[in-house]
Amino acid sequence: MRKILKIAGREYIETVKTKTFIFGMLMTPLIIGVLIVVSSKMGDTSGRRLTVRVAVADLSGELSALIEDGFAKYNDSHRNRQIRVIELDCDLGFDAAEEQGKEKLRSGKVDACAVLDEDIIDGSGKIRLYTHKPKASILDALWAAESILREAVVDRRYEVVDIDREQVAKLRHVPTEQVEISLGAGEQVQSKGQRMAGMMVPFFFMYLIFMGMVGTGQHMLSSVIEEKSSRVIEVLLSAVTPFELMGGKILGLAGVGLTVVSLWGGGAYGAAVWQKLEVDVSLQLMVCFIVYYVLGFMMFSALLAGTGSICNTIKETQSLMMPVMMIFIVPLMAWFKLVQSPDGSLSRGLSFVPPLTPMVMVLRMSAGSEVGSGEIAATMALLLATVILVMWLAAKVFRTGILMYGKRPGLREIVRWMRQS
Amino acid sequence: MNAVTISRVCKSFGSVRAVDELSVQVPAGSIYGFLGPNGAGKTTTIRMIMNILRPDSGSVEVFGNGSGDKRRPAIGYMPEERGLYRKMKVQKALAYFGAIKGLRGPGLSGRVANWLGRVGLADWADKKVEELSRGMHQKLQFAVTAIDEPELLILDEPFSGLDPVNLDLIKAIILEMRNEGKTVLFSTHVMDEAQRLCDRIVLINTGRVVLEGSVEQIRRDHTADVVSVQLGGDTGFVAGLSMVAGVIAKDNRLEISLADGCDSQDLLQALIGKTPVLAFEVKTPSLHEIFIKEVGAGNA
Repeated sequence: MRKILKIAGREYIETVKTKTFIFGMLMTPLIIGVLIVVSSKMGDTSGRRLTVRVAVADLSGELSALIEDGFAKYNDSHRNRQIRVIELDCDLGFDAAEEQGKEKLRSGKVDACAVLDEDIIDGSGKIRLYTHKPKASILDALWAAESILREAVVDRRYEVVDIDREQVAKLRHVPTEQVEISLGAGEQVQSKGQRMAGMMVPFFFMYLIFMGMVGTGQHMLSSVIEEKSSRVIEVLLSAVTPFELMGGKILGLAGVGLTVVSLWGGGAYGAAVWQKLEVDVSLQLMVCFIVYYVLGFMMFSALLAGTGSICNTIKETQSLMMPVMMIFIVPLMAWFKLVQSPDGSLSRGLSFVPPLTPMVMVLRMSAGSEVGSGEIAATMALLLATVILVMWLAAKVFRTGILMYGKRPGLREIVRWMRQS
Repeated sequence: MNAVTISRVCKSFGSVRAVDELSVQVPAGSIYGFLGPNGAGKTTTIRMIMNILRPDSGSVEVFGNGSGDKRRPAIGYMPEERGLYRKMKVQKALAYFGAIKGLRGPGLSGRVANWLGRVGLADWADKKVEELSRGMHQKLQFAVTAIDEPELLILDEPFSGLDPVNLDLIKAIILEMRNEGKTVLFSTHVMDEAQRLCDRIVLINTGRVVLEGSVEQIRRDHTADVVSVQLGGDTGFVAGLSMVAGVIAKDNRLEISLADGCDSQDLLQALIGKTPVLAFEVKTPSLHEIFIKEVGAGNA
């Protein structure tokens, strides 16, 4: 056991003090922060932008004033993004107007063309929008033009049935206020940010598990490959058993992962407190988080140790790891669904897929699901059994693979190694 | 007491039989040489002693221990492919490997300082391993192997890449360790070193034992074949003698190969009386010559 700890200690120190680790560790939150700030600044789109030209053919002939009005209002409120309307001649009917608009589009005289049917007001016609290779930078203007045209039609419909649109809007308007009360005295209005935070906490926890497992797992690959390619491995194996070596590596890197997770978690918690967001994290969740993380990491890193041992270069490992990584993408893609129904059959099902158990269970628990202690115990037991199985098999592959150079063994050969006593 | 007992060990890689029914006993307290051409199965055998590879059949014991995990602590092993952590400092590397071999505390730091001095790397203690020259790297590797002063040292090609000065240094340390009662087993295909250093050798080719025994005995067993003589008179009759298989004139001497089963003393008898015998020397072949003879010049 002392040898395992010694190896773990070296693995931890050597990993933590590498430049890539320190850089990734500090830079990732920094980059995320910068992205958030930048994207919030992006919202107000300063700087003059292209004027977008929209050709409009109003075959109903009743809307031109309303359309003009709508675009004028838009242009007044969007100083840096103007939309110019070019009215098309509608005297010759739909086909001619449509053809005229398409011609202008193809020749690049306009960016979009809209043809409103003659019977648009009574509800049977429609607005047709034509574009020709639209640039991504004018998409927002195209959406705006579409909604201005639609509003113009709706306005006209109110006029036709003689109902005051503003009156209706007033009738439909019911102010609401969401209040989150705290345990103590005093109540506070729940800010939008608070609700967002509530939504994001489960995702953050799941992401921490993901980063702790997958991000740290990469170090396992590079560590094994380095020892293999520098031929230090035989010297090591003259002093320790392959199992001690693998165990030490897993333990050391699990420590690295816990460091990352607690620093990021702590940082995020600090940021939340600083922003006066209440994040409710129970002790039970914390304990389960750590247990799930450690078990998940042991399974994943044992898998990586086995994989690394049969490869000679990092490049080789990447092609082998691709399918494994795809599995971990599942909860990242489906997280919203899982948060919405943490006790649904999808959530429950994925909880019992061992590679996903840590991510899904932590997501569910932090999403406020009353996951029963029976289910926690069952998933942990299944995960533990898988960890033991994977480590047992990985140790056998590791034992043989670590001393093999040259051609990578085939699947059949690896299965043979696993069967060896 | 044998330090290593290898009994009828076989090991194949695919269709290639690397080691074939090999049996070797290495007496404790001796310097023992594994000789053989490249690809003879020396490294494979050594890896099986180290339990890095497992034999397909047969058994390996080290100081009577058959279990791989039990025999490991008694052995210091320097693999053929040298390897250390490149970014580690020299002193740290020694201390680290000492620690995973079970040393600790003041005992460990004492050994580290001692071995740094012994291999002449004390001035390089704070340099990184990657800054060392090839020879220094080799010496550090040796120190790593011997740091816990194990009962049995197994060195795979320990002299490759060493200059004459460092070669003598390592040889001196090997002799010192033998004198302290340790067993040293090394493989080499440099016969001169083996001849000077080893108490016993085994010559392996294509995974089988060709020769085994003490260096003296082996050389004596191969002596009777060639006799170098200097004769005073006419030498024409020599080739016609029944016990002579061949004659080569060299300077003013004759190198006479004896026919199978003939004794050098019979030749002497035959020569005396016919011509003055100025010099008569039974040539003791070097291990190198024996090696070439047994294994074939193509493999040397």
